[in-house]
Amino acid sequence: MKGKELKSEAFLNETGAISRFTGWFFHEFLRPRFELREFLRQCFLVGYKSLPLIGLTGFIMGLVLTMQLRPTLVAYGVEARLPDMVSLSIIREIGPVITALIFAGKIGSSIGAELGSMRVTEQIDAMEVSGTNPYKYLVVTRVLATTLMLPILTILSDAIGLYGGFLGINIRGVMSLDLYINEVLNTVVFSDVVPATIKTFFFGFAVGIIGCYKGYNSKKGTEGVGRSANSAVVLSSLLIFIIDLVVVQITDLLGLN
Amino acid sequence: MAKQAINNIKLGIFVLAGLVILIVTLYLIGRNQSLFGDDIHIRARFRNVGGLTKGNNVRFSGIQAGNVRSVALVNDTTIEVSMLVNRKFQPFIHKNAFVAIGNEGLMGNKVINISTNIIPAAAIEENDLLPTKTEAGTNEMLATLSTTNDNVAIISEDLKQTIKRLNNSAALWNLLNDTTISSNLRISLSNIRYAAVKVNEVASGLNTIVVDAHNGKGTVGSLLTDTVVASDLKKAVGHINQASADADILISRLDSLVQGIQNDVNTKGGTVNTVLKDTALANKLSNSLDNIEKGTAAFSEDMEALKHNFLTRGYFRKQEKAKRKANK
Repeated sequence: MKGKELKSEAFLNETGAISRFTGWFFHEFLRPRFELREFLRQCFLVGYKSLPLIGLTGFIMGLVLTMQLRPTLVAYGVEARLPDMVSLSIIREIGPVITALIFAGKIGSSIGAELGSMRVTEQIDAMEVSGTNPYKYLVVTRVLATTLMLPILTILSDAIGLYGGFLGINIRGVMSLDLYINEVLNTVVFSDVVPATIKTFFFGFAVGIIGCYKGYNSKKGTEGVGRSANSAVVLSSLLIFIIDLVVVQITDLLGLN
Repeated sequence: MAKQAINNIKLGIFVLAGLVILIVTLYLIGRNQSLFGDDIHIRARFRNVGGLTKGNNVRFSGIQAGNVRSVALVNDTTIEVSMLVNRKFQPFIHKNAFVAIGNEGLMGNKVINISTNIIPAAAIEENDLLPTKTEAGTNEMLATLSTTNDNVAIISEDLKQTIKRLNNSAALWNLLNDTTISSNLRISLSNIRYAAVKVNEVASGLNTIVVDAHNGKGTVGSLLTDTVVASDLKKAVGHINQASADADILISRLDSLVQGIQNDVNTKGGTVNTVLKDTALANKLSNSLDNIEKGTAAFSEDMEALKHNFLTRGYFRKQEKAKRKANK
């Protein structure tokens, strides 16, 4: 009984701490001076460097999705609807969520481990002593970079995934690229693209803020660094699904589904 | 420093690529939804839209022309559908064009189909209300299919009964099992073929006759084409007519003659009546004839006696010699 109370107390403590950490982010983000150079460096590392991995997973995602959907649609005699289903699946749900999960695995763990090792090696303390604002320099830049880069990665991943879908259709059947693009554009509407793109900002923010929080508050030496990296991935992945659920509910309420 | 600049350029390209894809996608989707183009607004009213919603495609003669802007209830039996149609279609869509709600495939989305009317009319203008027509929807098709199924069930039942009867028909099976039928049939067919050949020959002969007759050859041809024969025939017919008239007169005279004879026969005391009906006279005549017969027999005997008489015998011998000489 006491153990359960301790766990729920720890959970509430953690939730409150993350909320305070997030509030601190907005506080620091709105205050000048802006670490533009560090921000661009983080964008390069977080966005550009993640493109090969995200692009490859996106391509495989489109190809596999098409090949898996095809037999069922053929059985129902609606093979021609394959581009519609693939495009809607990738743009509305699979593209943003899978990209965010891969991103969380790569970037969330990286941020958690980097900041955690800086914490346990007292580099962050040293920055505070030297008068540099470590939060602004380390956290704000990384969270902003993940927030802005994940939507771009998702857009590129969707495009690559749709191309993979086109190849998947042409492995067993024949369809011209023009017809495929026309079918996709005739199927997809603003209410598919806009909510899907907006939610990726939240996914990116969640990955960044959790990674930074876990790393920034890392304890217990090198063991704590690994634990921070691990828990950053787990928690940010969980948050991605929760945010996705909330966004779906909101778009449903707004009549966009 | 230089490396950071290169990294910044790479980052810039990466960000721009993402943004360009997003913007182009949004533009193309917007263009498909008639958000950026020059469009004309038209309307149509239906009793039932069957699930048509905002954003469904509008097609003119099968070509994508726009989409549905709104679906609004006017009253309890009328629903007004507003459509945005690309202005380049305006000259081709006339005020009397028909608007109908259809389906994109069997299980696809609803779609508005605008079809042309053969009667000339002016081109559509902004906010025009176009006439509508109802196309067969899935429900109507299912209803028709249901009727067809019922009919098929009845037909199959009848067919089953017929086959049952055929199976139970001994005469039919005997007919089918009879191996001689095929050879008989073959012979019959051969005969029919022979008869057909003969008929063909006869027809050919008739054709030749007809052609000859047409060309004036032969008796029939002469009859039909020779004007002299026709004239002679005409004269002959005239003579026949004349003869017929004369015959009429003759018959009339004969009739009066017969009438006179009949009167004579029926008149007592007359010669004919006496000859035909007087029994006493008949008896007298019979006796007279008997007497003549007797006289003739006696005369014959006398003549035979003369042949043997020495005075007249020479004469008869001379007669026989002359007769034999004449026969040689």
